[in-house]
Amino acid sequence: MKNTTAFVFGFNNYASEIIDNISYEYDNVHIYSLDKEDEKNEKYDIRSFDLSDEWSEMENLINSQNHIAFCVLEDDAQNIFLTISLRASFKNLVIVSLAKNKESSNKLEMAGANKVIPIVQNTADIISNMLSKPIATKVLHSVLYEKSDLKIAQIVIENEEYFKREFPGDIDWSRYRGIIVISIMSQDLSREFIYSVKSKHKLLRNGDTLVVAGYEADILEFEKLIGGKRYVNWSNWSR
Amino acid sequence: MVFFKRFIVDVAYAVQTSKGYQKKKRFFYNLLENDENKYKKYFDSFMIALIFISVAILIREVKHELHYHLVFFNSYVISIIFFIEYLLRLWVYGSVSQTIIKRYEYDSYLGRDFNLSKALGNILNFKLSYVFSVRAIIDLLAVLPFFHELRLLRVFILFRVFKLFRYTKSFQALASVLGSKKFEFLTLAMFSSIVIFVSSILIYVMEANNPKSPINTLYEAAYWSIVTISTVGYGDITPITDEGRFVAMLVIFAGISVLAFTTSLFVSAFTEKLDEIREMKTVEDISKIKKFYLICGYEEVAKEVALSLRKKHKNIIVMDENLDNVKNAKNDGLMAVNYNPGSISSYEKLNINVSTQVESILCLKPSDIENVYTALTVRSINKEINILSLLINEPNRKKLEYAGINEIIYPQELVGLIVKELVGQPVAFEAIHELRSEESNINIDEIVVTQSILQNYAMIGELDNKRYRIIILGLYKKTNEDFYFNPLDETFLEEGDYLLVIGNKVFIKEFEASLHKKSLI
Repeated sequence: MKNTTAFVFGFNNYASEIIDNISYEYDNVHIYSLDKEDEKNEKYDIRSFDLSDEWSEMENLINSQNHIAFCVLEDDAQNIFLTISLRASFKNLVIVSLAKNKESSNKLEMAGANKVIPIVQNTADIISNMLSKPIATKVLHSVLYEKSDLKIAQIVIENEEYFKREFPGDIDWSRYRGIIVISIMSQDLSREFIYSVKSKHKLLRNGDTLVVAGYEADILEFEKLIGGKRYVNWSNWSR
Repeated sequence: MVFFKRFIVDVAYAVQTSKGYQKKKRFFYNLLENDENKYKKYFDSFMIALIFISVAILIREVKHELHYHLVFFNSYVISIIFFIEYLLRLWVYGSVSQTIIKRYEYDSYLGRDFNLSKALGNILNFKLSYVFSVRAIIDLLAVLPFFHELRLLRVFILFRVFKLFRYTKSFQALASVLGSKKFEFLTLAMFSSIVIFVSSILIYVMEANNPKSPINTLYEAAYWSIVTISTVGYGDITPITDEGRFVAMLVIFAGISVLAFTTSLFVSAFTEKLDEIREMKTVEDISKIKKFYLICGYEEVAKEVALSLRKKHKNIIVMDENLDNVKNAKNDGLMAVNYNPGSISSYEKLNINVSTQVESILCLKPSDIENVYTALTVRSINKEINILSLLINEPNRKKLEYAGINEIIYPQELVGLIVKELVGQPVAFEAIHELRSEESNINIDEIVVTQSILQNYAMIGELDNKRYRIIILGLYKKTNEDFYFNPLDETFLEEGDYLLVIGNKVFIKEFEASLHKKSLI
């Protein structure tokens, strides 16, 4: 299911990368910049905005249920103010904000961002993982970010009968050739590793999400078997 | 005579080319002189222990009758060990055979007869230069208690204490600190000597003729002067005449200035040398680390990377030419050096062996120019070392690649990819993110297939991963650098392959340990 519109607030290198990577997912991507000069940009259609705006103009544009906003202003203080302004006006809007460091990250969460991406932390984690677990990092990077036949997907169960009231830990997942089930997210939003103690004693229900790894064709076959489908449920992102 | 010379040259060549002889000599040289030799610290500790035992026996001997074995051990065993050490040091100091060969080849080249006496003269010269060095003299004096029947020679046991200078770096540092202020100390010594000399004579002249005065000889006058000038002032000898007391007042003032001068000299010498001493210690510490990551530049990203690597118990050294950054790194508990990572001389001064000691070089400065410069410097030292660098501006990517950087991290691109995955599959993304996080109990990890594992398990199907509730995500084949997702049970394992596993941290460790033991099932 395609989301309709994404709003990107701030225009810089981070914003460009985000726009390039999400444009396939959204019908419309609206870009707003604090710098009026950016309106002259030939590649993107950019509008200017002001942090003191009342957002009344946008209220008609933003449909909180299906829209998403990215706050990528370079100044952390401004980004926090932007996030809190959006949250104050749009209670159910999904807000993704960039933070330079942990301190700003915490403040952005307090300001109401659904998801905060701490840039320095993420970069450092990637570097550290590349050095300590080079193979795992390489494989996961290619699965997650590069064009690879191997995929990691989330599938929502819609035919619980298929599992015949077996516990996840007892199911011989190898019967689904080519598929590896990594974790389960229950409807109560708790996420458990497939072999964890909890998942050993919890039956699979309709609405539970399975995180699986496998080749595209195998995943499709698996989806048919369990009567599930891949889709994004934004409500999973709790604040 | 010609035959004798020929014989000497032949012996010199034989010795010089003898692998066994050279190996032994190198071993003793490293043991005695090379601080990086792993056995040296044990040898030094052993010698220090002998010194303390020796001094303890000397003290005990003052008021107690010693057991014969103890006297024998102190006088003969320790002395002989010290003497052997002395001879070994004399042996490894320079090469006799090399000197003979050098002289022989020099004479042959000029078409002259081999001048044996000149060669022997050279040998005598450098061996004597060692024999008369302060350290060698102390070493030799430390052997003298061997002749313990001569009571006076027992005092030479104290010379063994001076040997401590040889075995402890801090004493050497102290000597070098004092050595750096040689001129000032000489001036102080001259000034003090003149003051002592003049005041001794003055007080002697003023007091010696007075029958009530305790100062009757020049020796007593000199003793009084030294005690007064040092501001100790025992009070056992005091001037009683007015003239003598006047001299005493002058000496007290002179004494204060001498003391102030001495104190300031020590303080300034140590202050000036403190950084140097710390640096020497750091260089020494670095040379002891077998493997480490070298972080060039210590700013935001570098700080987080260092923290993360430290959590994984990896050795890290930070190199930055900015003193504030180095201080920050040290405050964060890291080993940091204030050197320019873009200069070859930094690596030479720090005695860093890039090929054997450094696992990876991390160029994490927020400047592409500096990162490229550092990368090229490192590449000029070593072609193979893994270099990872931050990319700040995308248009510079090719320049970083051209500089030979193996891994380029562009944070903006990372954010774009993360967002792409986040908006597409938030649950899967979070699950994978959790697997990679060090905070989480469930981790993705890699296990390298070693010969020891292969002795017990040949195929994937034989692995007992289910027992440990572990998922084998795939097998990375070293031979063709391919990743086999969810490998079949019949897939053969080879040395150097990597198993990618997902599971509880503790269980993964147990599973890895179990791979090295033959399954009983």
